[in-house]
Amino acid sequence: MKFLLNTGRTIRQGSYVERKNSVAYQEEATSLCMNPVDMMNLELEEGSQVRVESEKESVIMKVHPALWITPGEVFVCLGPYANHLVKPETHGSGMPDFKGTMVTITPTSEPLVTVAELMEQCGGVRYED
Amino acid sequence: MKIEDVVCPFCGCLCDDLVVEVEGTRIVSVENGCTLANEKFMGDHRLKTPIRREGKGWKETTYDEAIRETAQILCDADRPLLYGWSGTHGEAQSIGIHLAEILGALVDNTSTVCHGPSILAIQEVGHPGCTLGQVKNRADVVVYWGTNPIDAHPRHMSRYTTFADGFFLKDAFRDRKLIVVDVRKSESANIADEFVRIQPGGDYAVLSALRAIVQGKRSIIPPSVAGVSREQLFRVADLFLSAKFGAIFFGLGLTMSRGKSKNIRNAIELTEELNRHTKFIISPMRGHWNVYGSNEVFTWITGYPYAVDFARGIAFYNPGETTSVDVLSRKECDACLVVASDPGAHFPKACAEHLARIPTVQIDPHVNATTHLSRIQIPVAVTGIDAEGTAYRMDGVPIRTRMLFKGNYPSDTAVLEQLYAIVKEIKGP
Repeated sequence: MKFLLNTGRTIRQGSYVERKNSVAYQEEATSLCMNPVDMMNLELEEGSQVRVESEKESVIMKVHPALWITPGEVFVCLGPYANHLVKPETHGSGMPDFKGTMVTITPTSEPLVTVAELMEQCGGVRYED
Repeated sequence: MKIEDVVCPFCGCLCDDLVVEVEGTRIVSVENGCTLANEKFMGDHRLKTPIRREGKGWKETTYDEAIRETAQILCDADRPLLYGWSGTHGEAQSIGIHLAEILGALVDNTSTVCHGPSILAIQEVGHPGCTLGQVKNRADVVVYWGTNPIDAHPRHMSRYTTFADGFFLKDAFRDRKLIVVDVRKSESANIADEFVRIQPGGDYAVLSALRAIVQGKRSIIPPSVAGVSREQLFRVADLFLSAKFGAIFFGLGLTMSRGKSKNIRNAIELTEELNRHTKFIISPMRGHWNVYGSNEVFTWITGYPYAVDFARGIAFYNPGETTSVDVLSRKECDACLVVASDPGAHFPKACAEHLARIPTVQIDPHVNATTHLSRIQIPVAVTGIDAEGTAYRMDGVPIRTRMLFKGNYPSDTAVLEQLYAIVKEIKGP
């Protein structure tokens, strides 16, 4: 199913922002909030893993029910996972479309990756603190 | 030892009423802080020493070696990018810009992915703003548009708006009307007197409709505008017009969604329309504690608030071309110095890939996503905890942060001064 991806600050994301290698940060940054009606249509339970794909990129996230989000939209806190899906096109404004990326979401059993693994996919070398 | 009136270096509120208890070089308690402040002060997750990437692993190195190698990387580059700056104090930002000038580098701050579009709009039509003290004491209508202060600026409501009694508002919670405009029903929307839910990308249309209503053209408003009913638009416009003093605070819901700077321009022009009837102000909810300071420092030195390119030997500014995301996605820069920010986490993947491709050096107290993309990381003191310096609150008020104890880390200023001296020596007179 196709969804509009919205991103933004959450208090948990802000709390763990200086511990990006931590499990707590990873859990928050991979939490995908979805309307329960959409979850039912996709046959997803709370905590189910999903593949979130934009035009060229994809990441694995965990789904959480959220009544505050409209069906057809999903919300993920700002961070490396959500931004993995956003195109760098700024339309001459300097600002990418952080709140307007269309994504396709499908159930999966693939594992989540850590921030370090995600950065390795970008060509980096992990540093374990 | 208990230290009073401590300034919190997390978000743009720069709350200056914290009480922090320090034992030696350890913080043991924080009073008056929000969750974010408590984590900031109580968290102790610093990188211990400078580190350097060697092959597929990392080795510890010394400050002198790390800074000398960084200087050489920057001097060897044809088009270095110096990015970040919002999480450090003004004195360090100032050195960063002078460093960019002698390197002929591009220097940009995190506004580029937060309120850059707001700055573009303000450059077009001005900024009818005021200090947060004025809002606290006078505003009887408060609007949060595309922002969720309960999560992003947790004490904004209790210090300046909904829950803060003011000189002319003795019972603020009852006397102030709170309007929240958003695409989702956020925590802040739950306590609003009026929650306006807009379809994604519909802000410009709703702002235009409100402008038309304020101009007295109610008859032209269609039954629904971007998911908002005409009745609700009339109700909100009436609340605006009945205000003695209205304050609009807007966030990235406007700057990052369709329309970007034009959304802000429309919001500012709505504020201008409202000022023909009553007093209204508008202000951005700035995120990083000193992102406003980076705009101030950049502007007073170069004339431009962000995305400044010194490649021509003079300051050149053209957002969309000289902004970091564009420069990185075009694979244009060949070295990057990241100071006090985390582009690895907050830029699109293509930009992170380019940061990994080129020699990237990070000056930051903590391990973050950019660490894994870097060649060198130099840990520094945290301003407001073991370093001091000037920061600008989201309303443009400069506030001096304090050093709570003397730790073992050098400040951003000390590291950048050393780096600047070596670069100057390599570049010659």
